[in-house]
Amino acid sequence: MTKGETQFAILGAKPKFDAPIPIGQLYFPSWKRYEAAFRGIFERQYYTNNGPLLTEFENKLQQFFGVKHAICVSSATLGLMMAVDAMGLSGKVILPSFTFIASAQSLSWAGIEPIFCDVDSVTHQISIDKLDALIDDQVTGIMGVNLWGGACDPLALERYAHSRGLKLYFDSAHAFGCTVGDIKIANFGSLEVFSFHATKILSATEGGCICTNDDGIAARLRSIRPSYGSANSITIPKVANSRMSEAQAAIGLLSLDDFPLNCQKNETLFRKYEEKLSAIPGVKLVKPKGVTSSNFQYVVCEINEDVYGISRDSLIAVLKAENVIARRYFYPGVHHSIEYQTNSLGNAEKLPITDSLCKSCIQLPIGAMVDSNIVEVICDTIDKSHRDLALLKAYFKEIDQ
Amino acid sequence: MIEKTNIIDLAIFGGNKLFVTPKSTSNLLQPDIENFLEYSKTFFEQQQYTNNGPNVKLLENRLAEFHQTRFCVTFSSGFWALAMAIRSLALKGRTEIIMPSLTYRRMADIAAWVNLKPNFCEVEPKSLAMSSATVRPCINENTALILGVHPIVNCCDSEDLVDIARKNNIPILFDSVESVYESISAGKVGGFGDAECFSLHACKLLNGFGGGYLTTNNEDLAIKLASMRSFGFVGVDKVGFPGGMNAKLNEMHAAMTLASLDDLESQVIRNRERYYAYKSLFNSILGIRLLEFDEKYRTGYKNIVVELLDGWPLSREDTIRILNEENILARAYYYPPLHQKPMGYPSVSANLPVTDILAEKYLNLPCGQRVNNNDITTIVEFLSFISLNAKLIAERLRKVETS
Repeated sequence: MTKGETQFAILGAKPKFDAPIPIGQLYFPSWKRYEAAFRGIFERQYYTNNGPLLTEFENKLQQFFGVKHAICVSSATLGLMMAVDAMGLSGKVILPSFTFIASAQSLSWAGIEPIFCDVDSVTHQISIDKLDALIDDQVTGIMGVNLWGGACDPLALERYAHSRGLKLYFDSAHAFGCTVGDIKIANFGSLEVFSFHATKILSATEGGCICTNDDGIAARLRSIRPSYGSANSITIPKVANSRMSEAQAAIGLLSLDDFPLNCQKNETLFRKYEEKLSAIPGVKLVKPKGVTSSNFQYVVCEINEDVYGISRDSLIAVLKAENVIARRYFYPGVHHSIEYQTNSLGNAEKLPITDSLCKSCIQLPIGAMVDSNIVEVICDTIDKSHRDLALLKAYFKEIDQ
Repeated sequence: MIEKTNIIDLAIFGGNKLFVTPKSTSNLLQPDIENFLEYSKTFFEQQQYTNNGPNVKLLENRLAEFHQTRFCVTFSSGFWALAMAIRSLALKGRTEIIMPSLTYRRMADIAAWVNLKPNFCEVEPKSLAMSSATVRPCINENTALILGVHPIVNCCDSEDLVDIARKNNIPILFDSVESVYESISAGKVGGFGDAECFSLHACKLLNGFGGGYLTTNNEDLAIKLASMRSFGFVGVDKVGFPGGMNAKLNEMHAAMTLASLDDLESQVIRNRERYYAYKSLFNSILGIRLLEFDEKYRTGYKNIVVELLDGWPLSREDTIRILNEENILARAYYYPPLHQKPMGYPSVSANLPVTDILAEKYLNLPCGQRVNNNDITTIVEFLSFISLNAKLIAERLRKVETS
């Protein structure tokens, strides 16, 4: 086939999109609202350190979550690092390896050895039945990770942790606004940490917050953050500068106002993906599980190469040529990264489901830069890649050689 | 003119406060908002809000140019810039970091985050700066790194510190948070040692809503730190360096810093005016000595520090209490020194008689962009007033305390 006849940019056709379609979420207020917010900050001349916007943001978050304390920080990673001293963890902490690397890095920075647990093949969430085998007398806690707008069964984890005398907390970077029963994620375990990075549904460009119903933990967290002035009366081992500025709080507040709309938009797009992808053999969309409501901030699919025809990595290359920034997420798995592959923990080979998911999962764009037509084009490309297998297979075979 | 004629007019005894709005030692620079919005438009239009965005790139180029270094790496705070730089530079297998005790109150906490024991050194009584002579007694086979910290008025002799570090094959990192604009005889602050760290907190010379940056001529270090601030990523899905975290500077903070940088030369002129106002007024007060900037080289004139001499009739503690009650937020200079503080982590035991004495004598007075010449006149006249009435004030203070 000559260049002119192909439909695929990877084979020489014009890309379907002129500019890259990013993975998401990238919601941001209008220029008018941005300008007004910053004129306010410049008028007040209050820039950081528990400012008026930060206080308002924390109050509104507490109401939103129905939680006693929401403590904003400059990033979720720092929030997780602070959690270690605030909760008094030591030795080892168990967490899934099928997570973003920051979950594990927060432990390493805090002097804790991460112990990786495998996940469930259907929900992608931590396998509670595999925890027993990982517990020794140095393990002091479990970090649950709520993935993909779903939940890792926090109630069952709470019962389990309690029965083993372990502390429990959550990396809920993906879970802003999600609900289990009628309880918002934020209220489980000793504390939960959320991300307000630009790629999340609630954005402060960078930032995060720690939620807890425990007054003692909250007081320690506020001293670790810390603030200037006399409020730091609690004794803590060391501070971890991580204040959220008025600029970040301003964007966070506007983003919180927009949350219902953005969440609705995500759901509409997600449903469109669901409808379009369900008919394509070998493509399985991962639906948010374990929650009564989700933020739908991630579109993650498992690609079964044997059924679909080309590999996950080949599909990413096809989409990338069309200017669709699909990603391997997570890849290669935290336990295979340079930081942890030589870890003494010795269970890296025992995570078969994590390894299999790291090879098969693809993340597709959703959020501010995506609309229904874009979803349609993306899904059509995925569909055609399956139908025109021979063409693409020949191409990938050639570049392999 | 101050309107206090009797000591019962002092706020500490129930009188009205001298200032309605507090006068602090924070710089609180307000750059031009239109300029800030102009920079904001760049990232807004490109829809890139963080992760090495257009303003961060521009800022890093501008700061490297400003400090005359090859590289600049920005961070979400000066604290984590220091922690990551120390982690990258410290000699492996060694356990101690040399730092002054008379310095930033959280400095030892940074060492604890990277599992190094602070070994506190003295400073020179004349300059309040560490030197090769004060560092030498702390160097031993466990020394992993020397942290050269500039005092808040004038600088350490960076060359002298680099020299002793090189002779002992120990890396040296500078904390130059209070020395952004300064030069020494050997050149501009920013290019000395293995790297230098700065802060973009609102109280500092450059207001970035919070943040920090590092300058260096070491390409490997710059690449490594730019990666570590973003989880250690070196490409899509590829972590190239262990020890990463999230310490990225977002685009709004970068825009704010750029706007602050544009205003820097005029700020220094304003700071100089403030400094000269203090200087001329302090000539007439006994018992207080203003720490003078060394004007042979470039200086930012930002901080106002005074020494309370033997002739000053009140204790420093009482002086600060009296001033604070009037909304003059004077602060003790780096007090308590770090070696006197309880620490929840290991440190090398320290005996620092010089620091112990120095720690009781100095005072930071209000400075920065919200302090004008009239405020300075009022502050100095007030100091004069309490000095003249010191005996009565001290008696009344003791009476209030015992009643």
